[in-house]
Amino acid sequence: MQPFAYRKIHDVAAAIAQGAGEPNTVFLAGGTDLVQLLQDGIARPAGIVDISDLPFSSIATTIDGMRIGALAKLADVADHPQVRAHYPALATALGETASPMVRNMATTGGNLLQRTRCLYFRDGVSSCNKREPGSGCGALRGEDARAALFGASEACVATHASDLAVALLALDAEVLVAGPAGERSIPVERLHTLPGDTPWIDSDLEPGELISAIFVPRGAAGWAQAYAKLRHRASFEWPLVSAAVSLAVVDGMIEDARVALGGVAHKPWRAEDVETLLIGRELDPVLAREAGEAATEGARPLAGNAAKIPLLARVVSRALADAGGLP
Amino acid sequence: MTSLSSRDTALVDAAEPRVGFTVDGKPHTLRVPPTARLSEVLREGLGIEGVKVGCDAGDCGACTVILDGEAVCACLVPAARCDGVEIVTVEGLAEAGRPGRLQEAFWRRGAAQCGICTPGMLTSAEALLRRTASPTRADVEEALAGVLCRCTGYAKIVDAVLDCAADATTAPAVGAEVGAAVGARIDRLDGRAKVMGTDAFGADAWPEGTLLVRVVRSPHHHAAFALGDLDAWRRANPGVVAVLTASDIPGRNIHGVIPPLADQPVFAERVARFRGEAVAAIVGERAAIRALDLATFPVTWSALAAVLTPDDARRPDAPLVHETRAGNVLVRGLVRRGDAEAALSDADVVVEGAYTTGFVEHAYIEPEAGFARRVGDRIEVFACTQAPHMDRDDLAAIMALPPDAVRIIPSAVGGGFGSKLDLSLQPFVALAAWVTGRPAGVVYTRPESMASTTKRHPSAITVRIGAKADGTLHAMRFEGTFNTGAYASWGPTVANRVPVHASGPYLVPHYEARTAAIHTHTVPAGAFRGFGVPQAAVAQETLLDELADALGFDRLDFRIRNALTNGAPTVTGQVFAQGVGIRACFEALVPHWRERRAAARAFNATAGGPLRRGVGVAGMWYGCGNTSMSNPSTIRAGLGPDGRLVLHQGAVDIGQGSNTVVAQIFADALGFPVGQVALVGADTDLTPDAGKTSASRQTFVTGAAALRSGAALRETLLLRLNAGPDARLSLDGTMLRADDGRRDSASLDLAGLEPDAHGFVFAAEETFDPPTSPLDANGQGEPYAAFGFGAHLAEVEVDVELGRVRVLALICAHDVGRAVNPTLIEGQIEGGSAQGLGLALMEEYIPGRTENLHDYLIPTVGDMPRVTSILVEEADAHGPFGAKGIGEQVLIPTAPAILNAIRDATGVLIRDLPATPGKVHAALAAARAAGARP
Ligand SMILES: Cc1cc2nc3c(=O)[nH]c(=O)nc-3n(C[C@H](O)[C@H](O)[C@H](O)COP(=O)(O)OP(=O)(O)OC[C@H]3O[C@@H](n4cnc5c(N)ncnc54)[C@H](O)[C@@H]3O)c2cc1C
Ligand code: SF4
Ligand code: FES
Ligand code: FES
Repeated sequence: MQPFAYRKIHDVAAAIAQGAGEPNTVFLAGGTDLVQLLQDGIARPAGIVDISDLPFSSIATTIDGMRIGALAKLADVADHPQVRAHYPALATALGETASPMVRNMATTGGNLLQRTRCLYFRDGVSSCNKREPGSGCGALRGEDARAALFGASEACVATHASDLAVALLALDAEVLVAGPAGERSIPVERLHTLPGDTPWIDSDLEPGELISAIFVPRGAAGWAQAYAKLRHRASFEWPLVSAAVSLAVVDGMIEDARVALGGVAHKPWRAEDVETLLIGRELDPVLAREAGEAATEGARPLAGNAAKIPLLARVVSRALADAGGLP
Repeated sequence: MTSLSSRDTALVDAAEPRVGFTVDGKPHTLRVPPTARLSEVLREGLGIEGVKVGCDAGDCGACTVILDGEAVCACLVPAARCDGVEIVTVEGLAEAGRPGRLQEAFWRRGAAQCGICTPGMLTSAEALLRRTASPTRADVEEALAGVLCRCTGYAKIVDAVLDCAADATTAPAVGAEVGAAVGARIDRLDGRAKVMGTDAFGADAWPEGTLLVRVVRSPHHHAAFALGDLDAWRRANPGVVAVLTASDIPGRNIHGVIPPLADQPVFAERVARFRGEAVAAIVGERAAIRALDLATFPVTWSALAAVLTPDDARRPDAPLVHETRAGNVLVRGLVRRGDAEAALSDADVVVEGAYTTGFVEHAYIEPEAGFARRVGDRIEVFACTQAPHMDRDDLAAIMALPPDAVRIIPSAVGGGFGSKLDLSLQPFVALAAWVTGRPAGVVYTRPESMASTTKRHPSAITVRIGAKADGTLHAMRFEGTFNTGAYASWGPTVANRVPVHASGPYLVPHYEARTAAIHTHTVPAGAFRGFGVPQAAVAQETLLDELADALGFDRLDFRIRNALTNGAPTVTGQVFAQGVGIRACFEALVPHWRERRAAARAFNATAGGPLRRGVGVAGMWYGCGNTSMSNPSTIRAGLGPDGRLVLHQGAVDIGQGSNTVVAQIFADALGFPVGQVALVGADTDLTPDAGKTSASRQTFVTGAAALRSGAALRETLLLRLNAGPDARLSLDGTMLRADDGRRDSASLDLAGLEPDAHGFVFAAEETFDPPTSPLDANGQGEPYAAFGFGAHLAEVEVDVELGRVRVLALICAHDVGRAVNPTLIEGQIEGGSAQGLGLALMEEYIPGRTENLHDYLIPTVGDMPRVTSILVEEADAHGPFGAKGIGEQVLIPTAPAILNAIRDATGVLIRDLPATPGKVHAALAAARAAGARP
């Protein structure tokens, strides 16, 4: 482990100043991902700013939606009555995240910014452009079933592992950010970046920028929603593929739709073509199936991940069926 | 105030946070490095070793503690942020030094087998019960979803927690009458320490000042290497005391569980043959060792061409893993009876199939750990092991010491399942302690444990089976290739055991089975519950279903017709006059089979959605003990002048229960209450050799030795007291009494007698070696004195769209000869079938890639269905009170029963394990493309 400086900070402005002022400083929230990365020598920061005492943990209903603090624990969000009542896709995604113990520690902000589960990134020794820029990509010719189907580059084919982010994307959520240049909000869709030729960058955040909260608009609350996740065992596993859907259904007709895919790209992947296909039609098993197939359009498989393509189609159909109450 | 600051110099913040918190009600204040894990601080800083560590990654839950009311993984909590918190560990669940209610319930239910997951299970359950006084089963399963257990299959754990719901009552302890211990559900004799969290595993109870060892391992599958200036490197790294390599080994740099084929170096010399092979070990102060950057270690690698599969290894131009083993063949096995090829051509129906399975990891929750210390000219090793006497002999040769200068003290073993039969860390710590003169220990990291220790053999199997139109099995040919990895380990055992068992428990008149164990540049494959038989059973049992279908027979009925019976020859020509219980196992399943199949059909007929149900059965047999080899156990017992009745029980209890079972048998043979027996565990200085804990041999072989010791001691005592054979013996302080009801009881004061060298005034030492005969060139002979038999029924639900399989029920009938302790046997069945389920559906180890417990998946509580155990007792003449083995064999029929059930539900048979959603989905799509249902 590299030596580093550690400070616990109780004041937002000071945290931002620390983060922006000293190069290579990281924020520590629940620590469930970062502690691991530090111990494995994958993250080698010069300094750590412990933000766990910042006032970002409340979960509140506002007139236009819900504000979920970035330091709220996944368990608390999943169990929140308003979340369960109005945002079932979110509650399901969180309920199927990690294990109960991890959910008691992990925060929403940290979940969105967790790093990829790519085996070559995590092993600390393989060539990996994300970990060691310029060292090559071990996964490109490897057989990692987790590798991306969409939006990958020669430099990196990793996927984002968060369940939460996929649900939030389908709900059209935003993250509220506080930084050296003040506050701003970023749609979840634009929070994460594609690898391109800078795969070491995961998000749009600038140095010193903190996520303070997640905002889920009220509009989504009235929509039919579902989250479907496929994994190899009953609990305690990141998604192989997943899908979140949110549908505005009026008199049986889909008036508006948002479809997000997980485990298939460097960011939660929005399937706009599928949305277009759904809008203006009535949801039935045939349409659900058709939409599932459409979701795989443009997928570019590698050596070891082609099996995900048909599964992705089925997961999307399943999420649609669940949202529409189909068998 | 304790300070951990010297422990980890990598953390340089001048102001190490000072934190104050309470643990189990006691306040503590200490300085901690900022990201020191809470688990580390609790264990090393405060000595609370009831907190276990299985992965350091949030994957296993063994480290779970309750922090301000919530269950969290202590390995992921930075200790620095714990100021002001209240922590409860397993040690805080006790009530006035006695097991608390939850702990008592775990003990009673047999919910702790090896006990390594128990502290995490208990704290998770406690957090739930504090929140919800009367949880439902679903609540309990959800609360335990983050704690892995590899031994129990979870059922008894969930039941134990439900026993503690506000409105439930814990069952009272079962007392056993004198002479009736065998058959009673008595509590594990070693259970208290397990539920209290005080059992000392390999990483626990190290002496003050123990140096830490870190092993340098090859990052390549096959590579030449050269070591640089080790002395200079050591000097440049303060705190490093020694660097050990092959040249430091005083004796021979070779070990192996099968001495004539021993081939594995402690440290590779010049060439490393698998990724994860040790080339050096660094010994030093703990903080210095933890802070080391191994990238600076002076070794240069040049990767060499590697063969990773048997197919590659058998190419004519393939590099040889060992110069002396042509074609990379370690050994071949053969059993031949009748003329299989000719008989296949006159069978009415022949089915065939090709099957593959991958490496499977034992995934015990305790990674290898232990320490050694030098005591004069002797070396003592305290570590997890399944085979203390084998360890002693191998280690003596490595250390160039006489065997009696090596003492192996097995720690509590946090799961073994076969892998802890081989040496792992013992030579490193022994050498380190020998060279430095200080105690030296190591705890393997999870990835290190997975990369370097043995696995289940990957297999490629082809089978043809033929039957006559009347439904009798006629002939079978079996060809199995097993990837045995870089070193021999138990490869020969697999190659020899499989041909003897590949027929399954059926009468097969014409039979030929050939096996080969092939070397590759991969981690050695060794012993894992069943020694290759589970892989073979997958092929043979799934083909039996196809055969039954082709002939138009009910699948279970077809098995019953062909099941072995007393008096019928096995494929090695062995004829048992008694003790063949397979038919009874199948028959016990008949009502369940009818009922479940009807229910599955009804479900499918009305199912509108993507779910289909199916039911499958499979049978198995398994020889208890070594194949055609002597494998004696010796048991010593005696009475001390203080009236203590001592049983030297050298069969290492890795959670399966031998401490309890062997004592039950002994107590009944002697005629004393089992509660009066004091156990002295396996320790090569104190306890005679009870052989290794493998091959389902401890109840059968060591139990038989205990029976003989108990009977012999009884005879001695009766003789001395001049009492008749039926007299009741009893001890009151130092007074020994015999009462035969006819005349006045005779008595004797032990206090006045002269003890022998072992401290006993009366003693017995008896050995049992099961009778076997060598196999001839065609594999004919009597390989085992007894077989255990069993049959499983699996009910599954397949999501035909997603390819996801959920097992709804397992019903497991086992002929155990005599159920010495039904609770412990159920525990073996539930735990073994969980491993079988993992083998069928999710487990595959890929070297270099799935080296942790989130990429290598084992079943969680939510993956396990209800398991119903049916105990069949077809007594065996050699077994103690008729008992046979159970430990290994339980998982054999699970995987084929599940695969048969998937086929019943969907029409597709998965022949390449594990049956992951991707594979099931692809097989269904292919079947649909070919025009099949569903
Ligand atoms: C065993 C296990 C299983 C898991 N399974 C799943 C799963 O199934 N699905 C899933 O989605 N996830 C899963 N996870 C991931 C888990 O959800 C994340 O590790 C967790 O949510 C991260 O949150 P944290 O608060 O612990 O973040 P930390 O580890 O503290 O931080 C993670 C990253 O986020 C940054 N960060 C945190 N908070 C902020 C903030 N407010 N502003 C700016 N930057 C911030 C940190 O600097 C760091 O880079 C699993 C984790 C484990 C250990
Ligand atoms: S896919 Fe990305 S994270 Fe994985 S090895 Fe390649 S560069 Fe690294
Ligand atoms: S040791 Fe903490 S979860 Fe495994
Ligand atoms: S008893 Fe659970 S891992 Fe052994």
